[in-house]
Amino acid sequence: MSTLLAIVTGCLYAAGIYMMLRRSLFKLILGLGFLSHGANLMIFTVGGLTRGRAPIIEAGETVPLQPTADPLPQALILTAIVIGFAVAAYSLALFHRVNQTFGSDDPDELRVHDQ
Amino acid sequence: MEQFIRLDDPTSLALFIPWTILVGLALAAFAPLLHQFAGRATGYILALLPLGLTGFFGLFFRSVTVGDAYHTSQAWAPSLGLNLSFTLDGLSLLFALLVNGMGALVLVYARDYLSGHPQLGRFYAFLLLFMASMLGLVLAGNLLALFVFWELTSLSSYFLIGFNHDRPQARASALQALLVTGGGGLALMAGLLLLGQVGGSFEIRELLARGDQIQAHSLYGPALILILLGAFTKSAQFPFHFWLPGAMEAPTPVSAYLHSATMVKAGVYLLARLSPALGGTELWTVSVSAVGGITMAVGAWLAIVQTDLKRILAYSTISSLGLLVLLLGLGGELAVTGAIAFLLGHALYKGALFQVAGSIDHSTGTRDATRLSGLGRLMPITAISAGIAAISMAGLPPLFGFIAKETTYEAMLHAPFRSTVLAAAVAANALLFAVAAAVGIRPFFGKLLTTPHHPHEAPLGMWIGPAVLGGLSLLLGCLPGYGADQIVRSASQSVLGSDVGAHLALWHGVNTAFLLSVATIAGGLGLYALRGKFLGLKDQWGSQFQFGPAAWYGWALTGMNRLAVAQTQALQSGYLRFYLMITLASATGLVGYSLLGRGKLAATLNWTDLSFFEASLAVLMLLAIFSGVRAKSRLAAITSLGVVGYCVSLIFVAFGAPDLAMTQFLVETLTVILFVLVFYHLPESRIVSSVSARVRDAGLAIATGSLMTALVLLATPEQYPSISDYFAENSVSGGHGRNIVNVILVDFRGLDTMGEVTVLSVAAVGVYGLLKLRRRPSEPREPENTDAHQRETSTTDEHQFSGVSSSLILQTAARFLLPLLLLFSLFLLLRGHNQPGGGFSGGLVAAAGFILYGIAFGAREVRRALPENLQALIGSGLVIALSSGVLALFFGLPLMTGLWGKLDLPGLGVLDVGTPVIFDIGVYLAVIGVTLSIILPLAEE
Amino acid sequence: MSNILLVLPLLIPLATAAASLLAWRWTSLQRVFAVTGAVALLGSGIALLAMVWREGICVTQAGDWPAPFGITLVADVFSAVMVVLAGIVGLATVIFSLGSIDRMREAFGYYPLVHALLLGVCGAFLTGDLFNLYVWFEVMLMASFVLLALGGERPQLYGSIKYVTLNLVSSAMFLAAIGILYGIAGTLNMADLAVRLNGLDNPALITAIGMLFFVAFGIKAAVFPLFFWLPASYHTPPGAISALFAGLLTKVGVYSLIRVFTLIFVQEASYTHLLILVVSGLTMVTGVLGAVAQQEFRRVLSFHIVSQIGYMTMGLGLAGLASSSTLARLALAGSIFYIMHHIIVKTNLFFVSSVARRLCGTFELKRQGGLYATQPLLTLLFLIPAFSLAGMPPLSGFFAKLSLIKAGLAAEEYVISATALAVGLLTLFSMTKIWAEAFWKPLPASSEQDAQPLTTSQRKLLFVPIGCLAVLTLCIGLGAEPVFSVATRAADQLLERDEYIRAVLEPTP
Repeated sequence: MSTLLAIVTGCLYAAGIYMMLRRSLFKLILGLGFLSHGANLMIFTVGGLTRGRAPIIEAGETVPLQPTADPLPQALILTAIVIGFAVAAYSLALFHRVNQTFGSDDPDELRVHDQ
Repeated sequence: MEQFIRLDDPTSLALFIPWTILVGLALAAFAPLLHQFAGRATGYILALLPLGLTGFFGLFFRSVTVGDAYHTSQAWAPSLGLNLSFTLDGLSLLFALLVNGMGALVLVYARDYLSGHPQLGRFYAFLLLFMASMLGLVLAGNLLALFVFWELTSLSSYFLIGFNHDRPQARASALQALLVTGGGGLALMAGLLLLGQVGGSFEIRELLARGDQIQAHSLYGPALILILLGAFTKSAQFPFHFWLPGAMEAPTPVSAYLHSATMVKAGVYLLARLSPALGGTELWTVSVSAVGGITMAVGAWLAIVQTDLKRILAYSTISSLGLLVLLLGLGGELAVTGAIAFLLGHALYKGALFQVAGSIDHSTGTRDATRLSGLGRLMPITAISAGIAAISMAGLPPLFGFIAKETTYEAMLHAPFRSTVLAAAVAANALLFAVAAAVGIRPFFGKLLTTPHHPHEAPLGMWIGPAVLGGLSLLLGCLPGYGADQIVRSASQSVLGSDVGAHLALWHGVNTAFLLSVATIAGGLGLYALRGKFLGLKDQWGSQFQFGPAAWYGWALTGMNRLAVAQTQALQSGYLRFYLMITLASATGLVGYSLLGRGKLAATLNWTDLSFFEASLAVLMLLAIFSGVRAKSRLAAITSLGVVGYCVSLIFVAFGAPDLAMTQFLVETLTVILFVLVFYHLPESRIVSSVSARVRDAGLAIATGSLMTALVLLATPEQYPSISDYFAENSVSGGHGRNIVNVILVDFRGLDTMGEVTVLSVAAVGVYGLLKLRRRPSEPREPENTDAHQRETSTTDEHQFSGVSSSLILQTAARFLLPLLLLFSLFLLLRGHNQPGGGFSGGLVAAAGFILYGIAFGAREVRRALPENLQALIGSGLVIALSSGVLALFFGLPLMTGLWGKLDLPGLGVLDVGTPVIFDIGVYLAVIGVTLSIILPLAEE
Repeated sequence: MSNILLVLPLLIPLATAAASLLAWRWTSLQRVFAVTGAVALLGSGIALLAMVWREGICVTQAGDWPAPFGITLVADVFSAVMVVLAGIVGLATVIFSLGSIDRMREAFGYYPLVHALLLGVCGAFLTGDLFNLYVWFEVMLMASFVLLALGGERPQLYGSIKYVTLNLVSSAMFLAAIGILYGIAGTLNMADLAVRLNGLDNPALITAIGMLFFVAFGIKAAVFPLFFWLPASYHTPPGAISALFAGLLTKVGVYSLIRVFTLIFVQEASYTHLLILVVSGLTMVTGVLGAVAQQEFRRVLSFHIVSQIGYMTMGLGLAGLASSSTLARLALAGSIFYIMHHIIVKTNLFFVSSVARRLCGTFELKRQGGLYATQPLLTLLFLIPAFSLAGMPPLSGFFAKLSLIKAGLAAEEYVISATALAVGLLTLFSMTKIWAEAFWKPLPASSEQDAQPLTTSQRKLLFVPIGCLAVLTLCIGLGAEPVFSVATRAADQLLERDEYIRAVLEPTP
């Protein structure tokens, strides 16, 4: 399964990048979304996959009875997801403002000011 | 310094040598202030310093001329080899006397020359800065200290050349001088560093003793070349000479001081100073004397074809500098003595002539030699001192210039390739003879021509300088035994390191050198007679000056600018896609090459353990991704992103990550809502890039993607166990929680969560600002003390969630769901520590409740139900979380250490209550605030 | 003690930001918070440095969980110095902002944002945990996003899009790199990683991950060819903000590069650090040429940042390739000295640029002028940082350059040394361009009506920080030895990996 997920991860990165390179801020932001999905999935896969058992200790126990999924990558990804959400929200608002100001979705129209 | 300072005890006086420089710098700093108070007197007051310093160094005359030398050292940056060590020997003394003596005269001169100039105070400051730096340069006993002062002289020269800063020409010349000498300075820096590396020290004294060791080293060549570059640029040697005539843009006192008497001699000084360590080799002799000889000839020729007094003098200075360099290149006792003598003579007469030129300009309003004549009667004192200086320059007895010229001829007679050298020298001197006559004699005789101003004698401050210098030329010429001989010989000694036999004398009898002088004079007279013709030549050859080194400088500058512009336009093109492409391409290339380009790797593929459900999930994701890329309509693309997100959360479910699944699900939902809110109304953009572009982008994308896949496959866990086992073991015992992930988030790695919540809060503030902070065109760019909030809140009246029609069912549902969802969120929050849930997902659920309510009744209604400004809600969440973490500090424990206690609630039984739980509550509140203050403004748009 | 001093640089800005959010409606109160917080931050930074100087590397284990399981906060001389610098820049910026930031921005959370940025920066300097570093990076990044766009003027939006996008790419790579690293080493604590990676025999993979980090941090540090976001955005926000960015942001990237490439990725130094050296050279050249091509005050300065990042990484590269430890120490100390000097000087130059903008009504050099004649104080305060930047003795920049080139020549890396020298000349050239245009040249009549004179209160608020930073520059130059000895001590600690590892992993009694 890890192999398959590895491929999915790769596709997510590829898709994200391809969309970011299009002449559309909308696709740019969408691409960023794909990218962050890719990163999360990557951490999840590399962290090692274990079916079923959530890292939750049964009531009354002090340690899990049988080995569970690795909790650390889960914690990392959870943080990453939240941060990703913050970023997505902000970039959406930024896009919104840009679109209102310039009435355009084309990043090439923002090139005027670089040199 | 307890012991009593006795003026006749140089060793104790030597302790003050560093102060001579510091005082100068300090005075420079206060000069403008002083000028505000003292006004016209300032020039005289300031002149007291160099005057006093001349006296101070005079006190060393006797002991130094019998061969003593004094050293002081002060650590500055010893770990870099930079010490403020100073040496006072013959050579340094000569220069110190020149710098201060001339300094005093020039300050007085400037007082009258620039009287009434609004920025005279700054002028004094820069001049004193230069004086102090130049003094430091000639006294420095440490290579790096010398370099520091070297650069400071370049810098002060830059400010002085550009003193008339309104004139573009002045600015350009200042820059040219700075770039040429500064460029040389950088070469010099490298050279000195190499020299210090080779010689094992930056103390000049020690280096001079290790000449052989240095010259034997493989780096001797490069070091020498680099140092020579520094010296040649500074002393205006061919082909770097062109900045000096340009520097004539500076006020005349500056030209007299920096650009004839002192600064331009710094390169010569450096050559003399280092010749024991670097000199004597074939490389030295050839390169130095060749450059010097060429400069001498070229300078003399260019001098004769000028008409502007200052330019004539500038080129003749270049020629003299060439002669000095030539002599130092030849080396040997006679040559060095000749060089020193000539240096002294030149400083005296050239300083005088520049000041005369300034006085003439000042009183007649022109410097054009062809328009000046008959001034002698109107400005007699100036005329006389000019005459004396000119005769000295022409090298006629009984002036010091004659002695100087004799000694140089004497030296050349014993030099390698004497015939060439002598021929060049005689020619150059003949030319200079003519120049001297043209500058110092011609303007004062003949009949008066009309000039812009009516000529009048220069004021005291302006004739005193030439008079003193002229007087000195005469005095030293007639009585070389009283001072000149001693100082010249001791200076030569400190260059040669051995005693000098020869003595300076006015009359050596009729010998070869004398005959050469006669020849020179004859030639000079001839050239002077023909001078008019040369002036004509200049105009014909005017074009030829477009190909000189000055032109090379121009080309280099424009070329560099063109290159810069081209490069910048190519790289900083402004196309975001281009930036992305380069960034990603270099990333992929770099990582890919490091990974695959250098050796073999083994990845383990396992297709075996595929379950149907997971496999189909993966396939579904691939399809969603593909459709997302290909999607024509925005809604379709958004949907596919959502599908991918939900599939990810299902995968989380499948592999035992319920918390992740829940969070991912909630976040994905919110994200989709946001996307819809932002894009619902917008028209589709229909830009389709060309096939080639798409292929190129796809190539890059696929390359990066497959690289990532490769990395995932290769990153198989190695021998080390993950640190996670520790969490499993300590989650309950230490963290009082059975949901390990949550315990990690709020306890083991609580700091991460702290940061994460901060990110959220900042994003919320940002979204709010982006959507609400607007400046209507009518408003001033920076509004007065108006309360921004009036404007801000005024935009938030009547609102509906865009495009969503609120039906009655929806409203009843919402009215009923909101409390339910809030309750559920609290439940999630509280159980989070032991079961899937927690502050974050809880907060999101609560927010979802409000959003639903908003969808039903409009944003305004929600705002009623919420605190007036959500930032405060966020802030309180942060404060709660923060203080729960800080609490531990008061018990001497590290930040965010969990403090636990039992809480007996009737009904619920005994609960574990600890700071991590409180922390989670803070998170909960912050998340509600954040989510709403992101969604609501967007909804209100 | 270390438990407290190590966390204060995080707690103070966070508390300030949170309190300011609570006081959302009362901007005057926020101003008070902002200044107090900045002063406190600087103070805590100095105290931290003092402690580290006394007791060597200091450590605190957040949550009292032993390393490598919890998150460790570590302060060695390098990080402590960086915190102090952040404090200095923060305080200067806040004061400058009081006199230059408009009411609108203040009303929309300007001050809490500044402190959030400082929080991210200090966190990045102090954390000993790779993922935690990622989190602080995001804090800093998000704050910078918002500050950059706050006000929503057209150029700001132009800049923001590019800035945001490219920095998010960097974050994505950073995150991926962390994930993979955890996959193979099973830990996130940097010291633990250093130990574990040493035990692995998979150089290609480790180096590849190292390169992933190099790109991620390289984008933040704006090295060639990853710097595009910087010149595209730094000239767009108000002066105070771009000064804050110019002083701190890129340096966090450089700091992280130095940290991971002295602590974690040292297996294949002959490959990785040679690459760093090459990149440094290219960065210097392209950056300075960019500056030469510009005709706008802040753009010139922005491209200079890029160019000077090259000098900072040059020392790192040299240190990795150095044959002897003394040489490595000299090179790395050079880098650190350069960072210290550059942060102060660059912040100050951006301050000056924004004052010049007010007095001439524009940032365009062609339309500026007359400052030399009318503003003697400003002239002086510009000359000090400007010529320090150009490496003129006896100012701080000279010693920074001197130590690096000395190291370069001693290491017989003649190409990079020559490049560094040549770039120095071009830097001087483009600084004199600003000088000649904005100061020497008379003010063009066309600009006169745009010029806004300063009120005396503004004058104070703007000139005090500028003056203090200028004095600091002088001190760094004239007191080069003590400053350099600090840099050397920092370099020593960086090169003594075991010292760091022991401090983090061995339980403190």
